[in-house]
Amino acid sequence: MKILILSLLFCSQVYAVEKLVLTGSSTIAPVLSDIAKSFEKKNSNFRIDVQTGGSSRGVNDARKKLNDIGMVSRKLKDSEKDLSVYTIAKDGIALITHSENSISSLTETQVKQIYRGRIKNWKEVGGQDAAIVVVNKAEGRSTLELFLKFFKLKNSEINASVVIGDNEQGIKAVARNPNAIAYVSIGTAEFNQSVGTPIRLLDFKGVKASVKNVENGSYPISRELNLVTKDKPNSTAKLFIDYVLSKDASSIIREHYFVPVLKK
Amino acid sequence: MLIKINFSKIFATVFAGLVFLSMISILGDILVSAFEHLSLSFLLEDVESAGRKGGVFPVIVSTLLILMVCMLVVLPLGILTSIHLCKYHEKKSSLHFLIRKLIEVLSGVPSIVFGLFGNSFFSVILDMGFSILSGGLTLALMALPLFIYTFERGLSSVPQKDYLVGKSLGLSSWRIYKEIILPQATPSLIVASVLSIGRALAETAALIFTSGYVDRMPESLFDSGRALSVHIYDLAMNVPGGDRNAYNSAFVLMFLILSINAFFHLLHKFYLRKSKAVEEIS
Repeated sequence: MKILILSLLFCSQVYAVEKLVLTGSSTIAPVLSDIAKSFEKKNSNFRIDVQTGGSSRGVNDARKKLNDIGMVSRKLKDSEKDLSVYTIAKDGIALITHSENSISSLTETQVKQIYRGRIKNWKEVGGQDAAIVVVNKAEGRSTLELFLKFFKLKNSEINASVVIGDNEQGIKAVARNPNAIAYVSIGTAEFNQSVGTPIRLLDFKGVKASVKNVENGSYPISRELNLVTKDKPNSTAKLFIDYVLSKDASSIIREHYFVPVLKK
Repeated sequence: MLIKINFSKIFATVFAGLVFLSMISILGDILVSAFEHLSLSFLLEDVESAGRKGGVFPVIVSTLLILMVCMLVVLPLGILTSIHLCKYHEKKSSLHFLIRKLIEVLSGVPSIVFGLFGNSFFSVILDMGFSILSGGLTLALMALPLFIYTFERGLSSVPQKDYLVGKSLGLSSWRIYKEIILPQATPSLIVASVLSIGRALAETAALIFTSGYVDRMPESLFDSGRALSVHIYDLAMNVPGGDRNAYNSAFVLMFLILSINAFFHLLHKFYLRKSKAVEEIS
């Protein structure tokens, strides 16, 4: 047993490899760990460790040099312009309801009123007579930030019945409740719809919520998926970022229902 | 009087039944979903496509390594602290009181707090980074209060006269514990270990920020390694289309916990039989 432990402890010193640590957005983490794996297969002396924690953590860790690359699933704020940014993909946010709900689109004002708690019944926007169950995201999620910014709302104004963390949780909450409304990543919503989860993606400003419309830029509520570094990235980080922006990686990004941004 | 007894009996039966039903429904849900898709290759393959494809072999290895680090810390520290706290050392010092209170407080602290502490202390200050080592140590901190609490009760239930007889015969404290007290407290040692292992295996929040998210096969204890519970959480909550493998992984975790429990149960039985045999001889 002792020998086993000692040998395990020493292993890391024997095989010195180039290591990169990424932390940040839980939206980006699964797709990047997939890309990292395919990168490691091609470059066997690299180890890319992808961790999570949320976009804000990605920014903070990059500043404190606790990671090599941070993952941020929103546009960088003005106060964050000290970091170098690489946009790797785009993602839209869709408003979703249960597929039994007859509503197929809502206006900007209606969405605002629903989330503020002014409109409390689906009847008021032309639906069935039932109370609206408002699903909101937890503080610190980039989907929440994008949603608030787009609809010019404050989180304190929102009158939510359910507060959730991840996209999948939002979809589960709506799929179980015919009177719920939530906002989640379009890619995730489209995938769930394609496998038969009973949800409906609402049109917004006459544009269908779909990955295609995010790609061509016609769908308005969308966000960027970014990688950030403190200074100019070192050669290892640069190599990996270039790979993420390459054609090889874009097929993996599509597999995760995001829209890749190719390097120009 | 008679009616009263019947009522309480009925109540007890109904509530016991409810608890039993809820347990069966959880197990059944996982079993039914897993049996449709589970295959041996799931246990032996690497994770692919963020867990939607492939298996969980590296995740199982990481989980067991984290558990190993945790128990290597918990067993010696836990046993020694329990001995220090148990009733044979009658001198009630304020240190005693403090340790006991701290253990009570710690056992009620939410696991995410341990996770954040582990991240800032082990990962950042001690520079272990995201690693199996820092995950295991964080879990050890979490499991220790439970272990000490359980094992100390067991130690204290050994009749005090055994200790005094040993003392009167001039045996050293070391001999008394090794030959007389600890053998009698073995059942509670087993229970304490089972509870600690259960708590460690079920932990998610404390591990996301310490042992991390990487699902590659760990090459050393300084590598980040994803635990099964973290894998299940990520698949169910964060990866579109991960539901099926979340169930499969839940089944693997459940199987792991049940087999560890079964192993300790057998150990306990074996121990009881042995100690009975010793009694008959003497």
